[in-house]
Amino acid sequence: MSGRARTRARGMLRGSRALEVRGSPGYLAATSVDLGNSEVSLSSRTDSVWQPSDEHDAASGDGEHTLMERRVRIRQDLMDLGICTRERLAHVKDCKTGSSGLPVKLVTNLFSLDLPQDWQLYQYHVVYSPDLPSKRLRTALLYGHSELSDRTKAFDGAILFLSQKLDQKVTELTSETQRGETVRMTVTLTNKLVSSSPVCIQFFNIIFKKILKKLSMYQIGRNFYKPSEPVEIPQYKLSVWPGFAVSVSHFESKLLFGADVSYKVLRNETVLEFMTDLCVRTDTSCFPQTCETQLVGLIVLTRYNNKTYRIDDIDWSVKPTHTFQKRDGSEITYTDYYKQQYDITLSDLNQPVLVSLLKRKRNASMEPQAVHLIPELCFLTGLTSQATSDFHLMKAVAEETRLSPLGRQQRLARLADDIQRNQVARFELETWGLHFGSQMSLTGRVVPSEKLIMQDHICQPASAADWSKDIRACKVLSSQSLTTWLILCSSRAENRIEGFLSCLRRVGSTMGFNVGYPKIIKVQENPASFLRAIQQHVDPDVQLVMCILPSNQKNYYDSIKKYLNLDCPVPSQCVLTRTLNKQGMMMSVATKIAMQMTCKLGGELWTVEIPLKSLMVVGISICKDALSKDTLVVGFVASVNPRITRWFSRCILQRTTAEVADCLKVFLTGALNKWYKLNHDLPARIIVYRDGVGDGQLKAVVDYEVPQLLSSVAESSSDSSSCRLSVVVVRKRCTPRFFVETSKTVQNPPLGTVVDSEATRPAWYDFYLISQTTSQGTVSPTYYNVIYDDNVLKPDHMQRLTFKLCHLYYNWQGLISIPAPCQYAHKLTFLVAQSIHKEPSLELANHLFYL
Amino acid sequence: LWLAKHFPCNSVVGGNFEEVCPEKVIRFKPPLYKQRYEFVRDLVDRHEPKKIADLGCGDTKLLKLLKIYPCIQLLVGVDINEEKLHSNGHHLSPYLGEFVKPRDLDLTIILYHGSVVERDSRLLGFDLITCIELIEHLDSDDLARFPEVVFGYLSPAMVVISTPNSEFNPLFPTVALRDADHKFEWSRMEFQTWASQVAKCYNYCVEFTGVGTPPAGAEHVGYCTQIGVFTKIGGKAAGSCVSEDHDQHVYKAVYMTSYPSLQQEKVLKFVLVGELLIQVEHLRLRHHRMLRERKRESDPKPRDTDFSLGPDLLLGAVFTEAEKARIENSPEPFCEGDKFCVPLQRLLAYPKLHRLRVDEERMRALIADSVCLSSDSSAVMVDLYNSLDYWPEDS
Repeated sequence: MSGRARTRARGMLRGSRALEVRGSPGYLAATSVDLGNSEVSLSSRTDSVWQPSDEHDAASGDGEHTLMERRVRIRQDLMDLGICTRERLAHVKDCKTGSSGLPVKLVTNLFSLDLPQDWQLYQYHVVYSPDLPSKRLRTALLYGHSELSDRTKAFDGAILFLSQKLDQKVTELTSETQRGETVRMTVTLTNKLVSSSPVCIQFFNIIFKKILKKLSMYQIGRNFYKPSEPVEIPQYKLSVWPGFAVSVSHFESKLLFGADVSYKVLRNETVLEFMTDLCVRTDTSCFPQTCETQLVGLIVLTRYNNKTYRIDDIDWSVKPTHTFQKRDGSEITYTDYYKQQYDITLSDLNQPVLVSLLKRKRNASMEPQAVHLIPELCFLTGLTSQATSDFHLMKAVAEETRLSPLGRQQRLARLADDIQRNQVARFELETWGLHFGSQMSLTGRVVPSEKLIMQDHICQPASAADWSKDIRACKVLSSQSLTTWLILCSSRAENRIEGFLSCLRRVGSTMGFNVGYPKIIKVQENPASFLRAIQQHVDPDVQLVMCILPSNQKNYYDSIKKYLNLDCPVPSQCVLTRTLNKQGMMMSVATKIAMQMTCKLGGELWTVEIPLKSLMVVGISICKDALSKDTLVVGFVASVNPRITRWFSRCILQRTTAEVADCLKVFLTGALNKWYKLNHDLPARIIVYRDGVGDGQLKAVVDYEVPQLLSSVAESSSDSSSCRLSVVVVRKRCTPRFFVETSKTVQNPPLGTVVDSEATRPAWYDFYLISQTTSQGTVSPTYYNVIYDDNVLKPDHMQRLTFKLCHLYYNWQGLISIPAPCQYAHKLTFLVAQSIHKEPSLELANHLFYL
Repeated sequence: LWLAKHFPCNSVVGGNFEEVCPEKVIRFKPPLYKQRYEFVRDLVDRHEPKKIADLGCGDTKLLKLLKIYPCIQLLVGVDINEEKLHSNGHHLSPYLGEFVKPRDLDLTIILYHGSVVERDSRLLGFDLITCIELIEHLDSDDLARFPEVVFGYLSPAMVVISTPNSEFNPLFPTVALRDADHKFEWSRMEFQTWASQVAKCYNYCVEFTGVGTPPAGAEHVGYCTQIGVFTKIGGKAAGSCVSEDHDQHVYKAVYMTSYPSLQQEKVLKFVLVGELLIQVEHLRLRHHRMLRERKRESDPKPRDTDFSLGPDLLLGAVFTEAEKARIENSPEPFCEGDKFCVPLQRLLAYPKLHRLRVDEERMRALIADSVCLSSDSSAVMVDLYNSLDYWPEDS
């Protein structure tokens, strides 16, 4: 296949999944960016050149907005807001707020946007007779008309927005062109929009986009950055540009402007420099391939315009000295083109070209258009996967980008100040009747902390963030004795084994976990030897295999996990030699490993008090397979005992275009059967936490996933017993942030802080919960949206139950940011998506084998 | 489209001509407005002016084309339509890439709202002032004042004036002025008479040319757009003679932007450290490769991996003979234990660093807090091996 044909093939494949391209790892902010969506907004360009032109994005504002389509296309996340799930939930129709816990005053990153009471936006459709193709001409004729000249307006060539209504529903205007030709313009009112309508919200977002550009910020993806104030990380050849993710949205009762600090990582090298170094590193035979694996998917910034492109392919057959066809049909070489157009001289005439496929915005079914980019003129943004796995690099980046609550608050204050002080910005807002108001404060509640229930002890941890010290001397709830097990290690690690084992046995006995002496097998330092040894020595009696790996190279881990999860299902524990070398850390390392091993053998570590006696909690998580991007990995983890300490875990790979799970009925029925077997009855209540719902997918979850779960419940229930279902969508990414303002400084809110008013949405039964701690940065709340609720729990109870569930993740002795079943499901899908790429053996379903 | 104009006023109606008389349209390729810009770009290429002002800059299209020239350090646009300047200003801000690979020289772009027949001392001392499709929009009073302000007061080294040639108009289907806002359109004779008088009066010499070649058989009408290029006799001298107290600031600055450039210490440091680290990394990798090749040669086991690169895949700039000699004459990189050292002199020999025109002493001062130097501060020192080193055959 030729390079071009291959690109086309890939293009078609990608084109069908228009929204699936995720942001590169370079987005460090909590609000990461979906680049596939980056230019969604209301803009639409109709570029038909082969070469990237230096035209700015159409929406960059020449006093008009580009709503090219006859119908305004609504952004994905705004579509979700139209799914009114709360109206169907009678018990929270009037009030969805709880009352328990201590009130706490919180400052938010939201600012009020005030509008006059009767504010409306009028949407008109303009038809020209005779029809005029030029948007510029259409605009000039319309704007030049006396009827409209003094009005606040925005026009995209077809749709006209006015802040004041015209007298007539249909207004006929005539203008004369300079050639004396009369053009009739029919302006028809199509819509009166209230400020909370999605079109309006989108309209406000465009206004702010314009304002931020006036403040010398640049839009990359959806966010805005200030390249003039870079932070340099020279040792890694990185620059970090500070910026903001901003959005205008309608919250509980008000229109609010939300801003969160975001950073953009830029690499201070061109793609050509990157390739040259890679070329020195690699063999000729695999250089092109290595190059493609490293570069395809990355986002580049070109030197001669403000656009970003995704690298979709590299065409090695095209050189800068080759010609291409310009829009006017003439042929020109790339070198001449860049010299003429941008006065740029290319230094390397042997470089290949990068291929980027531009999505057709107006017509998604059309084949995407390929654009050729010169590596020498492209800068890499974001980080390669190789770089993100470099601990030191990531640490250096984190040090530069991590912000304390105080630092964050200062940045926000500065942005608000800039917006309020800038004349152009103020004028832009005022002309539409908007007033940029003050930072919003609200009252949250801190729910009581939880006690941990151990085997013969109930303990109140000093801090819910980390209770490892509190439970050090306590026995875990239950554990299996480990008698028959293997340790595989290379000869280099051998001398560490004895010390480690004695530690492990010692902490094991304090925990109540009996660790017998393993069979130790020495293997050579390569993945094949490890695998061979496992195949040779694992028999049905073996309870667990521990591998001491010489490096964290993926192929060791992957081959071992594949074999022991698929072909020969036995719990396995991989440990890096490096971990065992950590002086003075041995006890805590051994404790962590002992706990993981206990869980993998089916043990239970701790629990919290669960007032509901017969409750099953379920976590669902979805992610993409690392190898084949059109395969989804769906993880499903359900508790199978009333104490919520035992779990049933399933995972399936599903080929699909939408990120919606297909197999939930089978999974839930399996979990209910398991429950029945263990408890001789069905659970009275089921609460499902669904993670990984992307923008615009809420409707699919409501319409497609909830019915699957309900149908399983209906089929499993008998006359004597039936279970009630609730479904909660969990999101780690959300606009609001909350701070506690003290006299001296600004701090993170305490653990267990719940916010269920003002920053929530009127159409949803939703709340924010802070169950995450951080020593240096700012915490982000987790957002919960109850989309289905037969259980009719009081909001207080729903919130507290959710908080309790954040205590039950056995891989971490402390609170986590999402309910444990979600984290388990996430961990499971990660293992499958990254390493084994197949459904794990069902024999393992009753153990937390993936910890 | 032939009427796409440089100075579109409130009645921008040029584009619809095709509908009127599709079969008779005269099309220029490239479009006439582009040919006019191309003409100015050509001048800039040849004369490398430092300060350029575009009077009647309209939607700032020409400024946007000019900002790419490395010679230009001050670019000014003046127009009476403030709204247009407001909405187009940010198109002139630096591209994102210019923060990563900055220009050599400073560049400031300023847009002023004001009339071209008013004097503003901030426009004094320019190398080039362009008036593209401007004068035909001036009424007779303004036209009378125009030469005095532009040639007499501003007195730049060079002025370019373009205006429609009315002799060409009969070739168009409708005979009228090309734009409703045009106050007049001149024949070649009329323009040249006016221009020659102006030139004589203010001590300029003028040459006439144009863009938009007439169709075959109609050569006698001349270019569609006629252009006069005025050059001050005796070169650039005046302008600076206006003292500070004569400062006249009548224009309102609507937009201003400054570009990052190597003239700014912070930027120079960023670029220097960046280029240096890229070069060091490149040399380090080459050193690795050499070590491996040496090892392979001593390794009797035959390998099928081929290290020599095919000519197709040889990437990177090719050095000229002079560059090669400069590099070879500088001290070589060396190893000290597990450290890899590259002498500063060596680094400065590579073109990308050489062009920054920084001497060793300055370089040392600029990079001191960003990179690790050898004990005698003569070389940059990095770890010979780092965590990102990954050779495919290692696995």
